[in-house]
Amino acid sequence: MNRLKSLILIITFLFFLSWSGVAIYSYLQLGHLKTVAGSDGVLPPDYSGKAILGAQVYTANGCMTCHTQQVRQLDVTHSDIDRKWGTRPSVALDYLRDRTAFLGNRRIGPDLSNVGSRLTDPVWYYQHLYEPDQITSGSIMPSYRYLFHMQKIQGEPSALAIALVGPHAPPPGYEVVPTKDAQDLVAYLLSLKHDYILPEVSAETPSAP
Amino acid sequence: MNHATTLSKIETISYLSEPLPLDSSRSLEIDRSMGVPILFLMRSSFFSFALGLFLVLICSIKLVFPSFLDGVSFLTYGRLFPVAYDLFIYGWAIPLGFALILWLMARLSAAPLSHVRIVTAAAHLWNSALFLGSLAVLAGYGTSVTFLEYPNWASFLLFVSFLLMGLWVLLLIKEREERPLYISEWYLLTALCSFPWIYGTANLMLTWGKIQGSAQGPIQCWYAGSLMQFWLIPVALGAIYYLIPKITGIKIYSYYLALFGFFSLLLFSGWNGLSALIGGPIPAWMMSAGVVTNMMLVLPMIAVVVNFYKMFQESEKLILHQSPALRFVAAGIISYVIATVLSLVSSFPCFNAILNFTDYLSGIFLLLFMGFFGMTLFGGLYYFIPRLTGISWSSSKLIRFHFWLSVVGISLMVSSMLLGGIIEGIALNDPVITFTNILSYAAPWNVLVSLSWFTLLLGFFCFMRLLVIMRWQMIEEKLPLSL
Ligand code: HEC
Repeated sequence: MNRLKSLILIITFLFFLSWSGVAIYSYLQLGHLKTVAGSDGVLPPDYSGKAILGAQVYTANGCMTCHTQQVRQLDVTHSDIDRKWGTRPSVALDYLRDRTAFLGNRRIGPDLSNVGSRLTDPVWYYQHLYEPDQITSGSIMPSYRYLFHMQKIQGEPSALAIALVGPHAPPPGYEVVPTKDAQDLVAYLLSLKHDYILPEVSAETPSAP
Repeated sequence: MNHATTLSKIETISYLSEPLPLDSSRSLEIDRSMGVPILFLMRSSFFSFALGLFLVLICSIKLVFPSFLDGVSFLTYGRLFPVAYDLFIYGWAIPLGFALILWLMARLSAAPLSHVRIVTAAAHLWNSALFLGSLAVLAGYGTSVTFLEYPNWASFLLFVSFLLMGLWVLLLIKEREERPLYISEWYLLTALCSFPWIYGTANLMLTWGKIQGSAQGPIQCWYAGSLMQFWLIPVALGAIYYLIPKITGIKIYSYYLALFGFFSLLLFSGWNGLSALIGGPIPAWMMSAGVVTNMMLVLPMIAVVVNFYKMFQESEKLILHQSPALRFVAAGIISYVIATVLSLVSSFPCFNAILNFTDYLSGIFLLLFMGFFGMTLFGGLYYFIPRLTGISWSSSKLIRFHFWLSVVGISLMVSSMLLGGIIEGIALNDPVITFTNILSYAAPWNVLVSLSWFTLLLGFFCFMRLLVIMRWQMIEEKLPLSL
């Protein structure tokens, strides 16, 4: 019976080695980072209320299954930065404000950590979400038409109405406007700008090279 | 060496290969009361597997024809895809592993089992949580954490029902007669005890409670890696260590090799998940730990495979040809070898820079999941189900179809994912190539992947057909159990 006990002890020990080494240690080392003071305010900047709701729309629709949000470090690859997906590699501090960190593990579409810096026109986002393949030909991104609604134009067209050309464009007399979810989502995407310069980044966060 | 011999009496060959003597006294091999939860777990796992295959097939078609079923919120790729994988894992892999654990426990305990109803009830709870949780994800209540998509109430119910089933098994083990544990039991007990810890910890940090975003990345990867290393691989290895000696009558070749394989797997598991974050926003030492452990996982693989290989070598060739279970197990072992080597390659940072985030890694995952775990467990099912129901398989042709369709499906899928992934990775690495061009390079491979999911679904239908025939026979003969 002693052999059995020592066997169980070893198994438990080995299991807890990785459990504490990865799960608990990450939590202790990275789970309590502090914001830093940048030249124009606190870094990383806080999300607006709309953007926080938008992150929930991002969650609900699983954008993370096709899009990552991480720019890899230069000693591993330059390609992320060469593709203009960011100006610097992501560091742990960049995710401080995220309720869920959408690091992702599959790039069917481009990385989105800095999409708000590359694409700044909200209308573009609406059009793209509604009919991706009309905006980028050959796109396999799904259409998010269900985040919009089509309504009859009554009097003046709505200021929010978006111009569309594809097969799902509204018939004459109708217009397509983004729902609140779509507006929040675009506010979130527009706020994805991790290109601020973190002053003491190499001293503060352990992830700098 | 005496551990190996504790495997209770080894059956004779005639009993093992396909035809079971139909006029036997139907003395089922295990307590009938235990057959109920085992068959229930198996049945629901088949349902989830079929549903998962169906959903993942839709997803893969969507990648080829984005307008297929588009514009509908609950059928959007980002919701359907995680649900399909969750069904595979929580609906199929875990209940099936659990059924295996129950089988072993039932075989090993002398006394009649008490309170079996607890297990059946917990399994019902598990299934309801799974079903409602999947619907909730489709309705947009998912969490977007890989493999932990279920909303909090559902994941909590899953956790509780697993604990119920697990504790019941542990109590059973305490009551069993004193004897050393067989190597299969080590693996299965490790899986049984570590899953709640992993699942609980990951949910506590990522969904039930949310730790600061900056620390979530490594935990996400740790969970995905641990699920593989502490559930899928040990359960499959446990099954193989049980099946080969049982079917061939050959003892485990080397007890020390088995020991080494077991402990080295434990030592490197869990850490290896971090290799998914090479170049990511984590401290450098974590990355190195991930890389090194992922490479080291070759060692336990070699140890167990040498052991299995020697046993195959010693056994009579006739058995290998006759036993469908062994054929599936052999395919599983081959998948394990290939997947481990491929994953070794992708953990070198220079290769990882190209291969990360492409289908190459999905290919390795599926090779381990469908190839190693799936084929092995199907092998197990071909062995267990006739022994549970007392009815032998009706058609060896259907079994062969199932086998070959699965082999072709998995090979086609994995090879197109690997090749497509490499091409995609090289293209992504060259900033001159636009993203739209990359999509067009990936397109043909996506077609092949859809085809291979379809092939797998067909293969599974053959298996379902076998089960349906068996069910009819059971009804006709008024057997007490239901399939
Ligand atoms: C099936 C995979 C898939 C899903 C799911 C998906 N996308 Fe995409 N996405 C793509 C692909 C492929 C592209 C590149 C082609 C294009 O621009 O349409 C892309 C491009 C984008 C772009 C443009 C990026 C750039 O740099 O040009 C944005 C913004 C975007 N997606 C946002 C989203 C959001 C928000 C969601 C969730 C609501 C989402 N995506 C879900 C595949 C996907």
